[in-house]
Amino acid sequence: MTERNAMTDLSTNTALREPCVPGLFSEDEGPLLHGARCITCSTPYFPRVAHCRNPACAASHIVSCTFGGEGRLWSYSVADFAPPPPHRYDKPFVPYAIGVVDLDSGLRVVGQMVDPVESMRVGARVSLVIEPIHHDEGKAFTSWKFKLLDR
Amino acid sequence: MQEVVVLGVGMHRFGKTGDAIVGGKSVTELCRHAVDMAMKDAGVSWRQVQAVSAASSRFSGGKGWGLNGNDVVEDLGCTGIPVYNLSAGCAAGGNAFNVGYSLVAGGIHDLVLVVGGEVMPKGMIQTSGVEDINDPEYLRQRCVGMPGPAFWATLARRRMFDHGTTEEQMAQVTVKARKCSESNPFARFQKAVSLDEVLASPYVSNPLRLFEICPVSNGAAASVICSKDMARRFTSKPITVATSTVATIGFDDALPRSLAGPVPNGPSFHTEAKAAVMKAFERSGIGPRDIGFTELQDNTCYYELAFPEEWGLCEPGEAERLLEAGETTPTGRMPINPSGGFVSFGEATTAMGVFQIAELTWQLRGQAGGRQVPGAKVGLAQTNGLGGNATAAILKR
Ligand SMILES: [Zn+2]
Repeated sequence: MTERNAMTDLSTNTALREPCVPGLFSEDEGPLLHGARCITCSTPYFPRVAHCRNPACAASHIVSCTFGGEGRLWSYSVADFAPPPPHRYDKPFVPYAIGVVDLDSGLRVVGQMVDPVESMRVGARVSLVIEPIHHDEGKAFTSWKFKLLDR
Repeated sequence: MQEVVVLGVGMHRFGKTGDAIVGGKSVTELCRHAVDMAMKDAGVSWRQVQAVSAASSRFSGGKGWGLNGNDVVEDLGCTGIPVYNLSAGCAAGGNAFNVGYSLVAGGIHDLVLVVGGEVMPKGMIQTSGVEDINDPEYLRQRCVGMPGPAFWATLARRRMFDHGTTEEQMAQVTVKARKCSESNPFARFQKAVSLDEVLASPYVSNPLRLFEICPVSNGAAASVICSKDMARRFTSKPITVATSTVATIGFDDALPRSLAGPVPNGPSFHTEAKAAVMKAFERSGIGPRDIGFTELQDNTCYYELAFPEEWGLCEPGEAERLLEAGETTPTGRMPINPSGGFVSFGEATTAMGVFQIAELTWQLRGQAGGRQVPGAKVGLAQTNGLGGNATAAILKR
């Protein structure tokens, strides 16, 4: 078995998948970001906040909620070179696109794109996924990413 | 309020650690050179300086590098004067100028030295290295992996979508900037580059290429400012500070500062820079069409296209046409960065806001040589800094 195949096996074995940072997202009930919303002014937040930060909001009232589903690629950039630590990645480094996505639920969120750089286009429909960002110590460390819907 | 003037400016040519320009000089040595030059230009002695406003990059838990204004004062001789160390990322130089300006305008001091300088760590500017899940910068790097230039690339890509800007047009900005640098003895790079050379440089963060992004540099800049009343003792032709402003990012900014934010209602680009510049227009009574030339923060060439439109220096979507018609050169209708800009200097973070004041002063005095804006009367300067900081200043003669 090649190294790449071994990595794929790790990635799909849920017991060996671990979030790169705990508490921010989950995948048991589908890919979800764990955020919050102010029910006074309906401002969405990710990660969670203790108080509403909207200066126009009359009274902060924060409740926990999740964000997932689909959205639209507002713009994107490319990591043409490996970012410095604390970022971690599988070697050899493969450039990836970084999307800024407007989820249909009203949250604009940054995340790595799953698909190759050449397939990116502003305005494309995407969906939230949880995928490995690097492998270490026999585990696949996951993060949230976005996948193009029409490809 | 007292009227504030620029009496003298100075600079150490920008370079890279180990090169023939800056070699192994410390940030204090670089600053000393710039300060001595500024005091000589002003005709003042160190003992006449009443306070120092220094741009400091020692923030975010102490990265172990960056200017400390107290070191500059110790080097010049401790006279017991107050030293203000201001941190605002790459906008710190602008903040230091603003604090110096405010101290003089408010009548607290009559003569203040403003200084910024940097010996930059090698490579990409890194985060503090502290793995704290409450730190949005840590989360962005750990969960996404978003190198600094990716922010600029995201905005540039969006502009390509909104306005049809091409990669050739962005490269053309660098060609224009580097042409200006040929006649700037303080620029790190003083050689023109061709469009082909820019387009042959590798992507750092697609669509932005190596020659379209400012590298990090070592350098320093200083200015001596004072009240108009006091200036009469030193010169008959001071440069007037029409205004100096500081602003921070708006809640509805298009680009989330950390991982996410609400989808804005309509365009809301660079809210900190726009707020600083709009406030400068309002306070000075000088409008965008009165501006003779501009020094803006071109960490990347993209900003030279976006900013002038957002501030009303030209119409939305007009920047590319003005660039191609040569109107952004020193002799054009809307000169942008006659100094050669960050793309020619590289960024010595905290020096930049003060570097712009020096360039504006030289331009307004008619001392800018081959990059002179003919008959320059009013100049605008603007900086942007990590953390949602921005500053603006308008100088006139
Ligand atoms: Zn609210």
